[in-house]
Amino acid sequence: MEPLTKMTRIEIVVPGRDAPPVRELITSAGATGYTAVSGVSGIGHHGPHSGALLFNEYDTLTMLITVLPPEKAPTLIGAVRQLLEDGPGVMFVADTYVSRPEYFA
Amino acid sequence: MSLEIRAAVARATRTVIPLWPLSSFIAVNPLGAHESEDFAMAAATRSRGAFLADYETGRITDTDLVAAVLHRVPELADAGDVAIGDRVWPAAELVAIELVHTDHHGRPPSSTPEPDLVDELVSKWIAAYLDPHPLWEMPDREHGLWAAWTALARYDPHLPGAARKLLRNLPRTADEGLAQALAKLSVEESKTEMVLQEAAKRSPGWVAHIKWRADHVGDIDLTSYLAICITLRWALGLPLPQSATQPTSESATAWERAATLIPTLSEDPGSSETVARVARILALHPPQLHVFAWQTAYEEHYRRQLVTAVSPADTRASNPSVQVVMCIDPRSEGMRRHLEADPEIETYGFAGFFGVPIRFASYQARGTIDALPALITARHSVTEVPNDLRQARRHTTALRVRDAFAAGMHAGETAPAAPFALAETLGWFFGATALLRTLWPGSTHAIGRFHRRTTPAITTDVTIAAAFSLGERAALAETGMRMMGLDRFAPLIILAGHGSTSTNNMYQSALDCGACGGNPGAANARAAAAIFNDPPVRRILADRGLPIPETTFFVAAEHNTVSDRVEILDPHLLPESHALTVKEFLEAQRTAADLLVTERSRHLPGATRHGKVRHSPARLRQRAHDWAEVYPELGLVGNAAMIIGPREMTRGVNLERRVFLHSYRPECDPDGSALETIMTAPLVVAQWINHQYYFSTVDQNRWGAGTKTIHNAIGSIGVLSGHTGDLQRGLPLQSVAVGDRDLHEPMRLSVLIQAPLDRIGTIVSRNQVLRHLFDNNWITLTARNDQHSLWYRYGTYGWIPDPHPGENSQDNNEQGA
Repeated sequence: MEPLTKMTRIEIVVPGRDAPPVRELITSAGATGYTAVSGVSGIGHHGPHSGALLFNEYDTLTMLITVLPPEKAPTLIGAVRQLLEDGPGVMFVADTYVSRPEYFA
Repeated sequence: MSLEIRAAVARATRTVIPLWPLSSFIAVNPLGAHESEDFAMAAATRSRGAFLADYETGRITDTDLVAAVLHRVPELADAGDVAIGDRVWPAAELVAIELVHTDHHGRPPSSTPEPDLVDELVSKWIAAYLDPHPLWEMPDREHGLWAAWTALARYDPHLPGAARKLLRNLPRTADEGLAQALAKLSVEESKTEMVLQEAAKRSPGWVAHIKWRADHVGDIDLTSYLAICITLRWALGLPLPQSATQPTSESATAWERAATLIPTLSEDPGSSETVARVARILALHPPQLHVFAWQTAYEEHYRRQLVTAVSPADTRASNPSVQVVMCIDPRSEGMRRHLEADPEIETYGFAGFFGVPIRFASYQARGTIDALPALITARHSVTEVPNDLRQARRHTTALRVRDAFAAGMHAGETAPAAPFALAETLGWFFGATALLRTLWPGSTHAIGRFHRRTTPAITTDVTIAAAFSLGERAALAETGMRMMGLDRFAPLIILAGHGSTSTNNMYQSALDCGACGGNPGAANARAAAAIFNDPPVRRILADRGLPIPETTFFVAAEHNTVSDRVEILDPHLLPESHALTVKEFLEAQRTAADLLVTERSRHLPGATRHGKVRHSPARLRQRAHDWAEVYPELGLVGNAAMIIGPREMTRGVNLERRVFLHSYRPECDPDGSALETIMTAPLVVAQWINHQYYFSTVDQNRWGAGTKTIHNAIGSIGVLSGHTGDLQRGLPLQSVAVGDRDLHEPMRLSVLIQAPLDRIGTIVSRNQVLRHLFDNNWITLTARNDQHSLWYRYGTYGWIPDPHPGENSQDNNEQGA
């Protein structure tokens, strides 16, 4: 079996209204795509978040997930870190492995 | 560096609220990004002088002031009394009377930067880029704003030669351009964000629109915009925009305030113990809250009247023969009230998109409209299909002929040199037409009617089944029924969206339905009626315990808020069995419309003389066709409250078209999800509208669009005041005032809900948007469990009983007189 290729996975949870600049950073960083999950629920520094609302995506949390080669990741991580400083939102960074690296390069 | 620059731009513009184009005007809270802060720290109010004038007239009373300070500082209730002269003052009354007698509010007025050459040049280039002339488009436009601007800027005759020379060799991308300009201007990395923030503040209208456009169209971004701004400053040798240092006025100490207040209440200066005691009490209410206490008192007066008005318990009318579901828009309240003069008619309030969010393309349209609240994204595309192809062909041919004529005229107006020939040959005709339109505004309407009559009619059906699966349609219907508490069914149920008609009015979409994305609500009403009449949907609803009788038929309609006429849509779908009921309804509606138009006219500028209405309903309706009329209707002027509950709370009460009314019955909503949807969507939209009106009234220069009479359109994007400057945002002067007299009373939304308090509390606690709005005083919440319960007010420490109006005995101005 072909070995899997190591990549960096970045997950960012931000209010829906703050998602556009994060998406812009992801695409500007050279990521070939991202996954957006709106209506994320949970509890954080700003209290509970009820998750998906029927007619309001603007005021719920959105999770953006992207995978990109490790050499491209630091720039994006730095920019997102700068963006989230003093504001609502969190970022998780982890190693991940993919079977088709050309999808993410 | 490129990504860091983009992150800095995003941070610098984080608090900018997007500005929708005028073609689909969306009312927003311009300070929406500050909702996580207390209203008193982030917002503004009218002046203290304006509040004092209201105090003199009794619009604000001592009772209101006491209630306001107690709501803000509940500790005052237990802060004891103080004897001053021959009177004992409870702490709250002492704090309230200080507001009247002394001025310590201590907040300097905010200022906006004066535009300079860079602002004017950037405005010109952005307008040329976003609204290109069809024959003179900017070169390289397809590569974005930065590419288009760098291709032309070096030739700009408004720039001195030295500056043009500097603009010859600019970097290829906006990111690099912005980085280079910041470096040339020696901006330290730590100050980049502040510099960008100040640059963005200089043209808040353009910045807000670019933020919207970057997300919805994608042909421009704020990095390019700021790159041009900063590059021009460097090329022209102008200083960087600086953070305006607001003059700070020293607030008086509590001791000084006490020493100032006591002599106004008594000739006896009081002992040092008395002064100390008064100072301790006044310290609980710092000067920066004073003007907001006035604002709260101003609202409290209205809120108490409203609570009193809706309090009487009323029983539900017997089974009606017609039910009319209208938008929550305050303008519907007048129509509902007049319709209900007929006991056979029952009305409901529901968000005007009827829970069916769609992107709609009408049969002959070139584009689409997003007929849904701005809070969500369009995911379901609906169009209409003709029932008769031959009929449709004739209809399309007639439209094409008219279109070809219009296109020919437009080409004649815009092609180089052609306007001269056009003026020579057809100028007399247009001159005569203009005269006709001016002297007989009704002629426009007559021409429109003639066009409609000479265009072959077409009947269509909306493609709702192609846009939503059966399961989705059933879910939408169930949600709608639970949200509005539709628990009984008349033979005829009319879903009436609303739209507005006016001529030569760039803000027409501001008068259309906010829940339909600033569009008329006809498409949504048609889609919703199609869903409710769908037999498979009804079978699923019956399985879920929500049976709709076979004899019930849903009809789509549209309420024109200028004429107050209701038009039945898709009449070809109406079964014979319901034709008579519709006819009777339309007769009742015509009477209601005349009464409502006359009622509304009492507030319309120019429609009354010496307090009496001087125009007939027909003349008042003509405003829709008068191209010189800046007040075709008053829109949502006066909006001040939202009531969520059954209609029995308000039926028969004249709410003066000031209240958003959303029907709701807790018994139809066992798990509370319908109430959560109402509170997180229609309530949020109502709050946006309310704050748009609020801020456009309290400071027209900062948050309003100025007078319509000098507006120049930039395509359908927006308007400039005059020929240059910033894109105007907010509502125009004519939406909120006549001259220097306010038509709108700027009050934060008072929300009244009839539902179990624990259910409301749970919903608020798990939704950050509601916590921000209620906890930070952007809107107020008053609620009661059911019709027989006491009202409770949501405050700093949770629910507290709302004293019944009149319970506090000093509802007069004796203390202040």
